[in-house]
Amino acid sequence: MNITLTPEQLALRDDIRDYMARLMTPALLAELQGEQREGGGPEHRKALKQMGADGWVVRSWPREYGGQDAGPIEQYIFCDEVIRAGFPYPFLTTDGVGPVLAEVASEEIRHSVVDPILRGECIIAIGYSEPAAGTDLASLTTRAERSGDKWLINGQKIWTSYGNVADYVWLAARTDPHAAKKHHGISMFLVPTSSPGFSFTPINTLGVRTNATYYENIELEDKWQVGPLNQGWRMITEQLNRERLSLVNHGPCELLYERVATWAAQTDAGGSAGSSPVKVIDLPWVRTNLARVKSGLEILRLVCFKQAWSMSHSSLDMAQASAAKIYGSEFFVEAWRLLLEIVGQAGALRHDSEGAVLQGVLEHRYRSGSVLTFGGGTNEVQRDIVAAAGLLMPRYR
Amino acid sequence: MDFSLSEEQRDVQQLAAKILAREVTVDRLKAIEAGADRFDEALWLQLAEAGLLGVAIDEAWGGMGFDFETLCLLIEEVGKTVAAVPVVPVLASAALTLQQFATAQQCERWLPGLVRGELLLTASLTEPGRDNPCSPATRLESAGGGWKLHGHKHMVVCADRASAVLLSACIEDELVLLAINPTAPHVKIVPQHVTTGEPQFSLVFDGASITDDDIIARGANAQCAVQSMLQHTLVANSVMTLGVTDTMLKMTAAYTAQREQFGRPIATFQAVSHRAADAYIDVQNLRLACQQAASLPRARADAAEAVLIAKIWASDVAHRVSQSSQHLHGGIGVDRDYPLFRFCLWAKQLELTLGGGNSYLTALGDAIAAAFKQRAAIVAPA
Ligand SMILES: Cc1cc2nc3c(=O)[nH]c(=O)nc-3n(C[C@H](O)[C@H](O)[C@H](O)COP(=O)(O)OP(=O)(O)OC[C@H]3O[C@@H](n4cnc5c(N)ncnc54)[C@H](O)[C@@H]3O)c2cc1C
Repeated sequence: MNITLTPEQLALRDDIRDYMARLMTPALLAELQGEQREGGGPEHRKALKQMGADGWVVRSWPREYGGQDAGPIEQYIFCDEVIRAGFPYPFLTTDGVGPVLAEVASEEIRHSVVDPILRGECIIAIGYSEPAAGTDLASLTTRAERSGDKWLINGQKIWTSYGNVADYVWLAARTDPHAAKKHHGISMFLVPTSSPGFSFTPINTLGVRTNATYYENIELEDKWQVGPLNQGWRMITEQLNRERLSLVNHGPCELLYERVATWAAQTDAGGSAGSSPVKVIDLPWVRTNLARVKSGLEILRLVCFKQAWSMSHSSLDMAQASAAKIYGSEFFVEAWRLLLEIVGQAGALRHDSEGAVLQGVLEHRYRSGSVLTFGGGTNEVQRDIVAAAGLLMPRYR
Repeated sequence: MDFSLSEEQRDVQQLAAKILAREVTVDRLKAIEAGADRFDEALWLQLAEAGLLGVAIDEAWGGMGFDFETLCLLIEEVGKTVAAVPVVPVLASAALTLQQFATAQQCERWLPGLVRGELLLTASLTEPGRDNPCSPATRLESAGGGWKLHGHKHMVVCADRASAVLLSACIEDELVLLAINPTAPHVKIVPQHVTTGEPQFSLVFDGASITDDDIIARGANAQCAVQSMLQHTLVANSVMTLGVTDTMLKMTAAYTAQREQFGRPIATFQAVSHRAADAYIDVQNLRLACQQAASLPRARADAAEAVLIAKIWASDVAHRVSQSSQHLHGGIGVDRDYPLFRFCLWAKQLELTLGGGNSYLTALGDAIAAAFKQRAAIVAPA
């Protein structure tokens, strides 16, 4: 057993770190501080295109698409560095939907959608959730009906992140309302956001902006229906499984831990008159908080690398993937709390405030951090999976 | 990066698992526990015969010559069965330390016999009120060319059977590591009654004679030796905890799957399955912590931190998985006729051995603070 990165992997990490540092220009950073912090703005689009041109998007793809078949560990390192850098990289497009399209879509779609994805010129939003279909996604009611030689789409999606800036929505719609089981009558569509009948309204959440998206008599040619008809459920679950792995990368938390510890080592905590001044990091409870974060973080790092390693040996089991998602998402919530405590009252200052500590990044992190425990497959369902697949405990039907 | 075991490691693991599964039945444990002390001599000799006692002992002393990581596989299997064999104090704490720091003569004196199961060594790491062997109150006073030992060690496993006990003491400010004979004059050996029933003893030294032959290391070398003994012991106990909690988890999953209430298996209640799922995550995470602590080369800067993290996780996981297992079993979980209780006792003993998790959290916090203060000083010189 050797749980350390190879020299090549360390070199790759440093390369990406350098590259991202150069990519994050002041103009891009400024754009990401404002309204368009989730991405999709002109500077973000420009940077993404640059990454495409420099071959980063295609890297993880199979050689037949011009990729390098980068292994899961290398891809994890890439993901991690990109997120650490604070770049809103559209992983759901490049590594979630993209590979599915490449596998099952027509020649035409591959040419008009997959190629632009690889060039960093295309963003796809995910249209699964509906007002009445969240965790129980298979109960979705957005419909696609035949009308002549076209499809007619009607319905509403909610929480469609990037729906306001994306080129397409990857939409799950019901194509057979009479199917015996509710997850049997669902098909996948690629909806151009330029289609007449598509619209969106913003949803401003505690942390990020997302959207409600509306589909009103949208007419689609057959080519936009992707994959086997009525068998979209398998594609959804496959895509969600793939996504789950990238939800709990350790890098961003490690970066914040290091920034908070550095801040605490540099910042005076006062001290009684006459005694030598102490730094924040000298306070015993601060050290304990840092140690708690560190010991949790170190395990998250190992959990993530173990997953990537298992994938490269085709031995990733379901329970392991679900356990990682539960642990990571709940650890983040705890980590933000422990780190915020260290900053103290000033931890509540927003990024745009005078006196904000570390640009208020923790204040934003705690607000957006709660989404992961229920998003990307809620932790209750993940625990059901762990008990059933990992412990062979029977489930209630 | 490679999380897999080598072929030899798998062989060791399977051999250990096979012997332990065959020998350590509930009836066997009951019989041993009904006897004078909780030590399964027959099993110990079987492990010796299979060569397993020498897993991490050099071939020069009759062992297999594998590394600490491989020894940990044996320890985990023992944890899974709570067999009455003192693998951690004898093989991880004492034998490895001797092998690394003692003279060839000292090794020759003890290690081949230990591998063959003919003699036992043990280690004493704690004193009343002091769970850290690096700052002992026990001291050596010079007396006519030799030394006299004064002090009090406690909770020493199998001290009654051991040919030698490794322990730390001070000559004024200098740390020394000794191997003493526990039956020598001026050593008082008193049995203690610990929660698992493991045979443990307190040792009181009131002027026992020590010669240079009994000294394994002095000064800086002793600092290294005692640190190394401490770190190996912490990791080995964490690995033992991994085995113990792994079995508790499996027992809980199996029991709740067949126990019915309200006309259905209790495992089908989400509150039950989710608590078990949390225990599963805990055990998986502890496994990773242990694998990292056992496999990182000691020379790496982050190796000491990995040991602290393993101990922190082991302490928390021991407590949580044990309590969850008892709770999810209901009454039978605390019944001494059902095998779970032994694992619960071991979980708590291991959690407390060398101090609980929070003391290590403090140590980790101090290490973090030192590192970041040093960095801050480099960035902004005063
Ligand atoms: C910021 C943000 C961005 C998002 N982005 C997207 C996106 O781009 N595309 C998209 O399609 N969706 C997106 N989502 C939606 C997200 O996937 C859903 O919020 C999630 O699936 C949960 O559904 P819900 O919100 O309807 O909650 P519900 O399903 O109503 O769940 C509420 C609570 O009930 C619990 N619960 C539900 N079922 C069970 C069960 N079987 N057992 C035990 N407990 C249960 C849940 O765990 C949860 O705690 C986003 C959400 C947010 C907040």
